[in-house]
Amino acid sequence: MTTPLLEVTDLKIHFFTDEGVVKAVDGVDLTIERGKTLCLVGESGCGKSVTSRAFMQIIRKPGKLVDGSMLYRFKKDDGTDEIIDLAKLDPKGKPIRQIRGQEIAMIFQEPMTSLSLMHTVGQQITELIRLHTGATKHEARNRAIEMLQRVGIPKPDRLIDEYPFRLSGGMRQRAMIAMALSCNPTMLIADEPTTALDVTTQAQILDLMLELQNDYGMALLFITHDLGVVAEIADDVAVMYLGKIVERSDADTIFNNPKHPYTQALLRSIPKIAMQRDELEPIKGMVPSPFRRPVNICQFQPRCNQRFEACSRVEPVSTLINENHSVRCLLYEDVAAVHQADTEAVAHG
Amino acid sequence: MWQYILRRFTYMIFTVWIISLITFAVIQLPPGDYVSTMVSQMINSGMDELPPDFEQEVRAQYGLDQPIYVQYYKWMRNIIRDGEFGYSWIYRRDAKDIMVERLPASFAISAFSVLFIWMIALPIGIYSAVKQYSLADYTFTLIGFIGLAVPNFLFALILLFISYKYMDQAMIGLYSQKYETAPWSLAKFWDLVKHLWIPVVIIGTSGTAGLIRTMRANLLDELNKPYVDTARSKGLSETTLLWRYPVRHALNPFISTIGWILPSLIAGELIVSIVLNLPTSGPVIFNSLMDQDMYVAAGFILILSTLTVLGTFISDLMLALLDPRIRLS
Ligand SMILES: Nc1ncnc2c1ncn2[C@@H]1O[C@H](COP(=O)(O)OP(=O)(O)OP(=O)(O)O)[C@@H](O)[C@H]1O
Ligand SMILES: [Mg+2]
Repeated sequence: MTTPLLEVTDLKIHFFTDEGVVKAVDGVDLTIERGKTLCLVGESGCGKSVTSRAFMQIIRKPGKLVDGSMLYRFKKDDGTDEIIDLAKLDPKGKPIRQIRGQEIAMIFQEPMTSLSLMHTVGQQITELIRLHTGATKHEARNRAIEMLQRVGIPKPDRLIDEYPFRLSGGMRQRAMIAMALSCNPTMLIADEPTTALDVTTQAQILDLMLELQNDYGMALLFITHDLGVVAEIADDVAVMYLGKIVERSDADTIFNNPKHPYTQALLRSIPKIAMQRDELEPIKGMVPSPFRRPVNICQFQPRCNQRFEACSRVEPVSTLINENHSVRCLLYEDVAAVHQADTEAVAHG
Repeated sequence: MWQYILRRFTYMIFTVWIISLITFAVIQLPPGDYVSTMVSQMINSGMDELPPDFEQEVRAQYGLDQPIYVQYYKWMRNIIRDGEFGYSWIYRRDAKDIMVERLPASFAISAFSVLFIWMIALPIGIYSAVKQYSLADYTFTLIGFIGLAVPNFLFALILLFISYKYMDQAMIGLYSQKYETAPWSLAKFWDLVKHLWIPVVIIGTSGTAGLIRTMRANLLDELNKPYVDTARSKGLSETTLLWRYPVRHALNPFISTIGWILPSLIAGELIVSIVLNLPTSGPVIFNSLMDQDMYVAAGFILILSTLTVLGTFISDLMLALLDPRIRLS
């Protein structure tokens, strides 16, 4: 296994609202490999966006990063690695600001509102380039035009002086991508970058992102609830449920050998894959209110079709059922024990 | 863009015209006219033997016997063609001369009030929004509400009282004695500026309080917009990003508020000037309305309203400069 670019352990982000504490992210473990694509999937509200924002320390009030570490392997100019714990950085401080935009860049869900309508596309891109590279106005502008061209915008030297409200959604999202990639980030976070677009544009943007990832070689954290997209682009998949990662493995394993009942249910609920087997079924039950989440028991248990008596008593922990596949479900805790015993037996030989 | 300006300009001309109509009509509303006021004053002062057709003659002399639309037409024609605003029966001078004497001080007070309001409201509004629910935010809110709640005339009276009692000198008037009757000059203007702050503070306070609330609310709306997250995710410092993005967006409605602030400033100026007995338009307008000195009243009201409309027009222009969505549509 290669050394991961970003290693997140036990990340907890809580929102301290007047009505109570919302544990939006409640102990997330994740690793992102250099140059690979990790898809983070899960139902609306499970905490995908909040998790990804934490990596850049741009959590909105009243949210607070209360626990956990995010070890980022920063490649210094002399080629050596420096490990930075992003969780320890001051959200307003200089170190995190140097990482934002330059090391880790982000594309947001809403191309309509994620760009300022009062500034030209060019102003918004060159600002970023100049901030991190110290380029002159002229150099930054050329670089911006080059990037706009790269993301397939026609007549980029004209469009650079346009205001975003004069562009279509697809064009705006392309401009957003051009901006995010303009400083050659090591890692790109894309938070549902195609959800707000029509189907044709969605496919184009997705192709573009894959192509760019091939060219630039950045790690990609892709957030979506569209499993069809996941099947297309993911190297690894993490499935999130109510602020926790419930299953994590490579894409093949997740699609062909899902273990967690929630993952299995998710797969049954998508038309493309389920239709062939004639068994499309939505996941029953509702996501519980964020204030009334069950504690110290399995979170998914009320909606689970494989629950047994222990599920409403014991909280499952994340168990490694083989070296590249972890599941958070009581069904597999024994298996893990067996696996562990096996490896130990082998080791003792 | 030009279309937008042209449209606004047309609105402005139209509005001024409507205002002139209304002004003229309203001034005619009270029963009687200056001649009847004059006659009753003459009788009161002991003249009981007036020629029987005296009233009629005076009316004819001033054109008051003609239908109101003819009077209006002549009034407008003289203003537009000759810049003449008619005659003041009370002061026995051209209305224009009185206006030239009085209006500059009114403009100065209103203009400085706008500046004062902006200079205070903008930074405090921004600060209150960024530090929402902080002690400072609550304090400013409290002061703001007091500023809103205390009427201008009361504020003026309180200042007046304090200045009499503790400063041996009433804060009355706008000029030092040596400039009181001097013609307009740079020195006189500077003298005016030095005296101006009292009415400016009084008039500006309530407007400031209102505008702080506006700015705070606008900015709070903008601070949570996705484009702010985008800007932050680029690595901009909090201060740079605040001024470059959300403040820029929040300024829009802020500038539109000049439109409604100007009339209240003018009204505030009138009242405060009466209370503090300032040599501005206020006392003259008040007296001319009481005595039905119609051309003086109408002239002042017309010019002040036109300026208000002009202020709104300027704020529209600023909006267009600031907001590409308006400029390019
Ligand atoms: N400002 C906030 N105040 C209170 N709770 C919040 C706030 N923002 C997010 N949350 C909580 O965090 C949870 C996760 O939100 P998040 O936006 O990460 O969901 P998501 O998985 O990205 O969903 P979606 O697919 O709809 O984007 C939400 O259920 C919500 O309860
Ligand atoms: Mg989201």
